[in-house]
Amino acid sequence: MAVSHLFVQNCAGPLMIALQYNDLFDLLSISTSTNTDALPKGRAFTFIKAVQTVNERLVDQNKTESLLFEVILIAKECSEEIKMKIVESVKHYGIPAALLYDQADHHVLNQLKVIFSGDVIGFSEDSLDSLSDFGFGETQIETFKAAKICVKEFAVLIGQMRRRFGHENSPLCTCVLSVWGSRNICATALKTLREWGLDVDEVYCLAGAPCSPILAVVKPHILWDGGLHNMRDSSAPS
Amino acid sequence: MSKHEGTERGAQSNSDNSEEKDWAAVKAVFDNANTAKKPRPPKPSNAVTIAVSSRTLFNMVKERKVFEEEGLERYVAHQLELEDQPFNPGVSFPFVKALMNVNAHLRELYPDSEELFDIVLMTNNHAQVGVRLINSINYYDLTIERFCMTGGESPIGYLKAYMTNLYLSKDSTKVQEAIEEGIAAATMFTCDSENELSDTQLRVAFDGDAVLFSDESEIIVKEHGLDTFFKHEKEFENKPLAQGPLKCFLEALGKLQRKFYAKDQRINCPIRTYLVTARSAASAGARVLKTLRSWGLEVDEALFLAGAPKGPLLHKIRPHIFFDDQMFHIEGAQELGTIAAHVPYGIGQKYHKGKRIETSDAEEKMK
Repeated sequence: MAVSHLFVQNCAGPLMIALQYNDLFDLLSISTSTNTDALPKGRAFTFIKAVQTVNERLVDQNKTESLLFEVILIAKECSEEIKMKIVESVKHYGIPAALLYDQADHHVLNQLKVIFSGDVIGFSEDSLDSLSDFGFGETQIETFKAAKICVKEFAVLIGQMRRRFGHENSPLCTCVLSVWGSRNICATALKTLREWGLDVDEVYCLAGAPCSPILAVVKPHILWDGGLHNMRDSSAPS
Repeated sequence: MSKHEGTERGAQSNSDNSEEKDWAAVKAVFDNANTAKKPRPPKPSNAVTIAVSSRTLFNMVKERKVFEEEGLERYVAHQLELEDQPFNPGVSFPFVKALMNVNAHLRELYPDSEELFDIVLMTNNHAQVGVRLINSINYYDLTIERFCMTGGESPIGYLKAYMTNLYLSKDSTKVQEAIEEGIAAATMFTCDSENELSDTQLRVAFDGDAVLFSDESEIIVKEHGLDTFFKHEKEFENKPLAQGPLKCFLEALGKLQRKFYAKDQRINCPIRTYLVTARSAASAGARVLKTLRSWGLEVDEALFLAGAPKGPLLHKIRPHIFFDDQMFHIEGAQELGTIAAHVPYGIGQKYHKGKRIETSDAEEKMK
């Protein structure tokens, strides 16, 4: 799974996405020769193409559409130090951050697929507190709770965008994936998202089954799991 | 239990560690959340996974009509209006209840084992219908914790991801796709009259040729006639037939049965299997039994009909599900109230009541 981060700012208008420069382009395999060579594609390339498709379809439907994706490239060096600082700032300012799922070449380019975590959205405040009994630290639980608040803003905007299209043939496809929770937690997630204005298209409830085989079939571009991925890997900064 | 051995397991080995951690976390969450009475679902690699579609689990005939006549948007809106109304049971419902009953017995005898049935709801229904489906699952207190609602996409990839042992759907195209991918699958139909079924014993009946076994012998019957068939089967009595699409499912059932035998529960075993074949015991039966033996498999009852109709016998047996490759037998079973599932495999698809049909007609017939 990819370890870079995608940031969404608190904006009322367009849905702003800030991407690191070295996600759009693969700087590691760049040659030292002429500067007329195009930079090789990075892991976010197909994602950006999919985002472009959504924008194009939105504008097709409404020439004065203001709810569009806006992408900002951060052109910085990506040392470990900087990476850690970025992660810390995200928490400090409460900027919602989603995992950019590793893109394979055969990703569908004409549809942007976004997954929301059923566990983050469906778990109640009380159950979140009980996670401390199972090895989750205080900070991790707080991050988990903060993630739920952050994801709401993103979901509301995605919901508005999704409503511009019908059930079929939409360039934007939204899913709920619950890895741990029971079916009722998943149902709560569906209803909560509906309250926030987002009717998701697909839902997967794993109830503990390994998620990589399922994700390999779903092929999402963006995966909102509230930092759960980082929690599983104890070496990642929390 | 060998589930898709080799490559899949090997590829998983790197993520095994983190998956073991996740598994421990899930165990803990389930054991502690407000689900004190609800058992934890087994890992797919240990379980016998049965994937059922929403239309086989529940009766969605009226809603389906709305979809076909008024389109997707109206269909989803209609389902939302009725969200708090549970669906009526569908054609695979009795089978699912019977599976749950077997699980209850297995858990009693082997409280820590994960060798259980795992029922997954696998549908390309839209996620918004999901709330009504979950409400219905809650209403009937079914142990279905896993589901995939793919919002229109084919569920085949997910069947493989869940290591599915059997897939039941009303859509014969998906069923065929599954069989072509090596997954046991069968098409179910709305049954008007249903017999009363056992609620203490899961009964599964299988046809032989082109279901448990390949269609190699059936080809001989269809293309060269019965006499050649009898001669051939006698001659090759000791050569095992090749496997058919449902052989692995019988194998999975057999493995669970042996767990009961190990605890002296053979007589009261809550799983019973039947072979219901048009073959006759005298001339072509031996090969079938010897093949099963060579595979290390058994059926509890082998019934050789020598061409007699299957309906009356099935009516006596009362299986929760009966698998056959020929629509003629499916219809015969249904007429007398048996829940029959069609396995769209082999030469039988090109024939109807003994006559060869054109390919385009065959496709029409299977819809």
